Amino acid sequence: MSRCTRAHEMFGAYWDDETTRAEREWLDAHFAGCATCRSEYESLTRTLAAVAALPRAEAAPDLAERALAAARSRTAVPDVVFVRETPPWVPATAAAAAAFVVVAGLAPFLIRGFGPGDAASVRHAVQVTEPRLVSVTKPPGAAPAQPGRAGGSVAAAISDSLFDHSEDVDFVLDPVTLHRGRAHTASRLPRNVQGEQAVITF
Amino acid sequence: MAPDREPLSPQVVSLSDEDLMARVADDDERSYTEIVRRYQGRVTNLISRVLNDRNGSDDLAQEVFVRVFVHRRNYRRGSKFSTWVFTIAANLAKNEIRRRVRRRNWFSLDALTEVLHDSLPQLADPAEGRESGLEREQLQGEVGRAIATVPEKYRLALVLRDIEGLPYEEIAEVLGVPGGTVRSRINRARSMLKRKLQPLLRKQGSA
Repeated sequence: MSRCTRAHEMFGAYWDDETTRAEREWLDAHFAGCATCRSEYESLTRTLAAVAALPRAEAAPDLAERALAAARSRTAVPDVVFVRETPPWVPATAAAAAAFVVVAGLAPFLIRGFGPGDAASVRHAVQVTEPRLVSVTKPPGAAPAQPGRAGGSVAAAISDSLFDHSEDVDFVLDPVTLHRGRAHTASRLPRNVQGEQAVITF
Repeated sequence: MAPDREPLSPQVVSLSDEDLMARVADDDERSYTEIVRRYQGRVTNLISRVLNDRNGSDDLAQEVFVRVFVHRRNYRRGSKFSTWVFTIAANLAKNEIRRRVRRRNWFSLDALTEVLHDSLPQLADPAEGRESGLEREQLQGEVGRAIATVPEKYRLALVLRDIEGLPYEEIAEVLGVPGGTVRSRINRARSMLKRKLQPLLRKQGSA
């Protein structure tokens, strides 16, 4: 790496006063002997000074009142991720038999715990902080269920709606809940369940 | 709940951001008003500079604070409020940039290029047709437009650092990227800006 390249790489830290003493002394010495780098750095300082000198935009005088009035009329709705159950492959006959036994045995609990219109589940959905299965019912305002997904669809609720569009995801939910910048939805859901799409509601 | 325009008590004014948010979580509207007052200027300025649109920034700033209220119970006590509110503002600003690009270029694939060219007519060729001795306001307009031409992910980091003065660690939290990435984005943004403004500032300096 040439001395000038090294100097250029230190410009930012030098401006931010984040260089070590040794780095600063090295750069000062380099500036003393290199007019080109000195001129480049001066150009950068002029640029950043112009940026810092920009007038600050004032907030609207009634912003607090308007925000409060708008907030009052808005209800927090959890973000909902539609997911599809994807059981691991098992022979069809064995799967059918197992499913029959499980469904017969657990039907009363399933109906009570996850049934359509179950108020307890809906309330729970608002409170959750981690993606989890909450309901087999369609949330209000969601797109009509697709024929192939009827009965097999479940929903996961994720609280908060800090919407982020990082470069590698189409949607981002609460950064507290999900790792930012990566679509980790599926990995945080129960096993054998994969995220299909997100419906962001505010 | 307290009426909107009652003067704030000294007690509310002296509370920390985090304590205010604890009260806001309990629907204390006075505390909410106070926290909005504390951050409304910085949030409005951040959005205004990222979008280079003073008029449009009011509505977006309002939306930031609406979300603060709507999601008040999701705010984690112990985390820094400024980081949370800047995260919301940065995300909304990013969404707005993308929405505008989509709207402007419904039929065009090269959206960003078009926006850049529109935003920076004078700086596209600084040697052409520029009178010497630009007024300060004009210069500020040019600087604002030049910032708006920096690609979004670099621009946000630049504005958070060089306009709002956030430390690198907080910017990393706001943008959800490692500290090294923040440094590299800011350095790139500064270099881009320097390249764009160099002819103008040189001329300005010699005028």
